[in-house]
Amino acid sequence: MTTLRRTSSLKRTQQRMAVLFILPALAVYALFVLYPLAMSLWGSFFVWKGLRMVEFAGLSNFSRLFVFPSGARLYGALWHNTAWFFGIMAFQNGIGLLFAWLLFLRDKGTAFFQSVFFFPAVLSPVIVGALWRLLLAPGGVVEWALNGLGLHQGSLTVLGNSHTALGMLIAVDAWNWMGLPVLIYTAGLRQISGQIFEAAKLDGAGNARMLFSIALPLLMPALGTLTTLSFINTFNQFDIVYVMQGVQGNPSYSTDTLVTYFYRLAFGAEGAVGITDIGLALALGTMLFLILSLGTLMMLRFFDRRTVQL
Amino acid sequence: MSALAISGRPALSRQLARLPGWTVLAVWTAAVLLPLYILVVSCFKTTAEIYDNRLGLPRSWALDNFVNAWTRANLGHNFLNSLIVTGAAVVLTIVVSAMAAYPLSRYRLGWNAVMLGLFLSGIMLPIRLASVELFTLMRNLGLLDSLTGLILVYSAIRIPFAVFIFANFMRVLPSELDEAARMDGAGEVRILFQIILPMVKPAVSIVAIFTAIAVWNDFFFPLIFIFDDRYKTVPLAISVFVGQFRTDWGLVFASLAISMAPILIMYCLLARQIREGVGAGGGMK
Repeated sequence: MTTLRRTSSLKRTQQRMAVLFILPALAVYALFVLYPLAMSLWGSFFVWKGLRMVEFAGLSNFSRLFVFPSGARLYGALWHNTAWFFGIMAFQNGIGLLFAWLLFLRDKGTAFFQSVFFFPAVLSPVIVGALWRLLLAPGGVVEWALNGLGLHQGSLTVLGNSHTALGMLIAVDAWNWMGLPVLIYTAGLRQISGQIFEAAKLDGAGNARMLFSIALPLLMPALGTLTTLSFINTFNQFDIVYVMQGVQGNPSYSTDTLVTYFYRLAFGAEGAVGITDIGLALALGTMLFLILSLGTLMMLRFFDRRTVQL
Repeated sequence: MSALAISGRPALSRQLARLPGWTVLAVWTAAVLLPLYILVVSCFKTTAEIYDNRLGLPRSWALDNFVNAWTRANLGHNFLNSLIVTGAAVVLTIVVSAMAAYPLSRYRLGWNAVMLGLFLSGIMLPIRLASVELFTLMRNLGLLDSLTGLILVYSAIRIPFAVFIFANFMRVLPSELDEAARMDGAGEVRILFQIILPMVKPAVSIVAIFTAIAVWNDFFFPLIFIFDDRYKTVPLAISVFVGQFRTDWGLVFASLAISMAPILIMYCLLARQIREGVGAGGGMK
């Protein structure tokens, strides 16, 4: 009886202590993350005058988003984000797999190469963007090097050319984050039993065969993590564009992304006069929220199903 | 790893077969280090020298650019702001997240899973999309143009990841730890801070490292909340410099070098923990 009373009094104390312990974190998190996010989703169904909610608008913000003059910006940005995602998948997560595999085949230098490759990832995208903007500028060191090697003549304008600018930003982003796939793949490869590779080698499989037929299927969880992270990062892309091309996504909106467009609508740099359109901004935010959550869920399920159990 | 070492062949041809691979790795190493090398040597050059002598070492190791960046461009002030915001956000995040994770991972409350799920959902939430409402909230609370505002927002954003890490580490500690302490009459606060927290030091360092990196590097929230030069953080100041001092390249390079110095130092000291933390969870950003 006494033990019972003691456990139940302990339970009561724990319930009370738990509330006190959780409250500070919950209050900060709810006030500065959950509340504004919920209000933003809710607000996208209203007419706005400046920063004031006026009346219920149904889906009219959303329909305005897809037509003139917003439609061109929206589809442009959507396309740039999609291209960015596939560019990162190919250049960063594809080449990253090659690097991780090469490191895995060697017993020496793994930690050194991993540290070097990952270093840009701890830098602010602002620093990375500013650095590459200086290097790639007309008169910059890349122009000088290409001219010296005879690969290019005259002024280098890759960042000012609407055909090449987006590709350059994707390359800078891949340079920034290349260490991430290398670390995640290497960790994944180390979890695969060495016996599997031994057996494959006895059967006469070469390195390429082992990578694609054995390692890759077993790396599905790593690939899933990377795909999801790249998807989230790509569709939140803002810093590199802002620093290298300005908030308009210059030249002529060719590097505009969904978040830079959102920023212009919300904080006023859209159009020559810089008027904000909060209703439109919130509708874009809600749409982006749906893209991100549904996309993430679908990817997690997709890779979950393809995970090979041994 | 050594499982793959090809044992039969003589050493020389084995090394030759590996040459293409080493070359690929060396090329990317150069692609990472060369821009950083150019950044470092350009800090000590005048703009004219940067044009004349692209890759060579500077004529003299003059610190003029650093001095100018620190004082004339006022980066010193931004640096201090960034240090305050980063330090305070790291401490606040660790304290409140450890407090929340302790009962969620070690008490039987009946609602642990729901509450933990509520926190964890925040890891993936795209908080930038809430920035309009967040702006209104900050204005109403009088937190625009203040470091306190930034500290609170950053802590709020980093809490989900921190709770996740702390809960994972605390869950596996043996239950005898707190039971014995409770028998001895220790209060719950003491059990958390004097017994549990010292046992999960790796979690503390993971949370501290990744929170510090994320906060030090962030640019989006100062951009929308800070208008007064007195409260600008380093990344925001840098984004202004790049446009403003476009002709004074040495100064811009020096300010980039200054702003990455704390992260570089931390990276050199903690490279192994960072590599392992990322490899294990992919839990950055």
